[in-house]
Amino acid sequence: MSEIKAVRRRANGENSARRNDAKTQSSYQPYIEAEWGFINHWYPALFSEELVEDQVEGVQICGVQIVLRRVNGKVFALKDQCIHRGVRLSSKPMCFTKETISCWYHGFTYNLESGNLDTIVGNPDDKLIGTTGLTTYPVEEVAGMIFVFVRDDDFADEDVPPLSHDLPIRFPEWSETFPHPLWPATPSILDEHAVAHGIHRTGEANWRIACENGFDNAHILVHKDNSIVQVNNWVLPLGIRPASADCITTFEEDGGPKGLMQWLFTDRWDPVLENKELGIKVEGVNSRLYRTSVVLPGVLMVENWPEEQLAQYEWYVPITDDTYEYWEIIVSNCATEEEKTAFKYRYDRVFEPLCVRGFNDCDLYAREAMQDFYADGTGWDREQLVDTDVSPITWRKLSSKHNRGIAQPPPGVQGKVKASSIRLKNLSSGRAPGYLVDKIDD
Amino acid sequence: MTDSGTLPSHRVNIEFLGGESQTISVAEDESVLAAAKAQGVPILHQCESGSCGSCIVRLTSGELVMRSDVAASLLESERAAGMRLACISNPKSDCNIELEYASDAASLKPSKAVVFLDAIEWIAEDVVKLSTELAEGDWLDFQPGQFVQLQVPGTDAYRRYSMSSTPAQIPKLEFLIRVLPDGVMSNYLRNEAKVDDTLMVEGPFGSFFLRDNARRAPLLMIAGGTGLAPIMSMLDSIRGRSGLKPRILVSFGCASMDNLFYVDELDLRKDWMAGLQTRISVDRGRSERDIVIGNPLQAIGVDDITEDTVAYLCGPPPMIEASYAHLSQLGVRAENMHAEQFIPS
Repeated sequence: MSEIKAVRRRANGENSARRNDAKTQSSYQPYIEAEWGFINHWYPALFSEELVEDQVEGVQICGVQIVLRRVNGKVFALKDQCIHRGVRLSSKPMCFTKETISCWYHGFTYNLESGNLDTIVGNPDDKLIGTTGLTTYPVEEVAGMIFVFVRDDDFADEDVPPLSHDLPIRFPEWSETFPHPLWPATPSILDEHAVAHGIHRTGEANWRIACENGFDNAHILVHKDNSIVQVNNWVLPLGIRPASADCITTFEEDGGPKGLMQWLFTDRWDPVLENKELGIKVEGVNSRLYRTSVVLPGVLMVENWPEEQLAQYEWYVPITDDTYEYWEIIVSNCATEEEKTAFKYRYDRVFEPLCVRGFNDCDLYAREAMQDFYADGTGWDREQLVDTDVSPITWRKLSSKHNRGIAQPPPGVQGKVKASSIRLKNLSSGRAPGYLVDKIDD
Repeated sequence: MTDSGTLPSHRVNIEFLGGESQTISVAEDESVLAAAKAQGVPILHQCESGSCGSCIVRLTSGELVMRSDVAASLLESERAAGMRLACISNPKSDCNIELEYASDAASLKPSKAVVFLDAIEWIAEDVVKLSTELAEGDWLDFQPGQFVQLQVPGTDAYRRYSMSSTPAQIPKLEFLIRVLPDGVMSNYLRNEAKVDDTLMVEGPFGSFFLRDNARRAPLLMIAGGTGLAPIMSMLDSIRGRSGLKPRILVSFGCASMDNLFYVDELDLRKDWMAGLQTRISVDRGRSERDIVIGNPLQAIGVDDITEDTVAYLCGPPPMIEASYAHLSQLGVRAENMHAEQFIPS
């Protein structure tokens, strides 16, 4: 090494060029870096009915592969990547006891509670036993949903916050801060009698694009022809513009969810009824009154939607940096069996076909349509935002400040290498990159 | 074992953070550092002449005397608190000393490399931000807070600068450099430096780096002038690491508004980290916005301290000296104070 021989490094890839570029350093730079999501947060993993007693299933959240097993009713979650050679335990479940799960390949056997390597089936005296193991993930099950705290390997148990810190705010405790004179207290999935029905499906876009769509007030245009709108004879405005500096209120107090509330259908937002340039005028606006809020790690709540005393929640759970699991649930409080039956009937007949699918299908394709613009990272610089975009900008700043960690591109997981032969093989045989593990068929 | 012939040897027990300890034999006319190096015990060091402060140790028992014939950079308050510089300290009895780092901290062996200048930006009347990149094939790792030596091109002179960038940004290295009216590096930066120049760099050095042992403890960081550089590296490293982030209070001061820099950069960090607070001060003259007149130490009161506060202090010697006294009085434990003196050169 000498001064004469020193040569310049080649520009090395897209990351170093954009990450620390002074121009892109803005108040929401951490958000731009969060391609794989925010880690150390609670995310929905499965509906309870998707994991019956003794079942094993595998999912991927923020690039972290997770295996879930239900034993005696209780759900356990471990990193789904054997420490030995990295295969997914969930791709061919093998369990010899109630307390463990074994890798189907070489028999590495892990304790469900602690994650420790308890034994190796064909090598019970190996020195590795008892010295290592897999990361465990705290689990909570409420209203028919299994939530997992997706964490960094060294995130301490005592630092794990309660699930309620990563869920929408609850009423009536927030009623004074965010009055809702037009409807009664919105149900929460944490309520005693809460029932949640819904679906989850994989979307082909980055999770942030999906999330921002959820509370973007300027996109009602894409919903004007939806069946739920037409069947109710709703007439939507052309758009909704912020009319006041306090059109959005953030909540950032310690010991609770961090998020923002939009004061929709107050005078802080203006419905736009006419565009003279285009000669369009909306007469007799008559649309459903709703209100949207979003909390970390990207949970939408639409109050008073799609009918009275209901709320729709949505999650945009990062799978990879170009796929997300789109969760949509409708929450109701059902104190009696009759109420439960009636809600389930209406969900099956109306809400799922017309709202969760019909209405939100438009959102799914809108997000996919944005993906190419943002996929190589340049979209965040090139987008030209307007005043209605105050909502996503506020969200970007808030989440940059209050997230519990930025998920790093994970080592050795599906979807990191975009054109791997496995991904291409699956695509060519008609299987898109997905959320659930590919089970081995034999 | 070293054999000093006539003078007796003493047993010096060296305790690393985390509990590991090793005992070495040191003659009365031998420095603890020289004996440790000869016997393979890793004490961080750089200049070996009492000036850089890298080899600082804490004496907990016995008699360990610093040579009086060299001008040591150790402050009187530090000496009184039991601190010694191992490179110029001789034992007069068996001793026990403690180090603030684990035995593997010195595993980053200093090496030499070449950097190219990417940008030279004047960010205050007398402060330059120097952006550099390691040459192809060269590498140099460091811990946030550590420093390197940069060679002034065309001379044999080296100057010490802490990185303001993080290890995650390697091969990029950034520095915040105070430019003096005269001085070889200052003259080079003011008159000659241009993009694509190459400089020799050697490092890393120093025992002033972000400790990993107290991840939950609230942090107090006091920086004077370009002493902000290692603090920026620490702040950005904390943001990038996993787990809950501690509460952090940064108090940063410069001589006047004309010397002040990085206010916007600190504001950005507040946007990025919910637990970060900053206080900015200038010693004299006018001020604006939330900037107060005074020194960064005066901005710290008893309400800012908890019993487990860990303090990182970086700036000119009088500021460090005053900080030790002030923070001790407020209740910061001596072992929780880490300091780096910045001496303009």
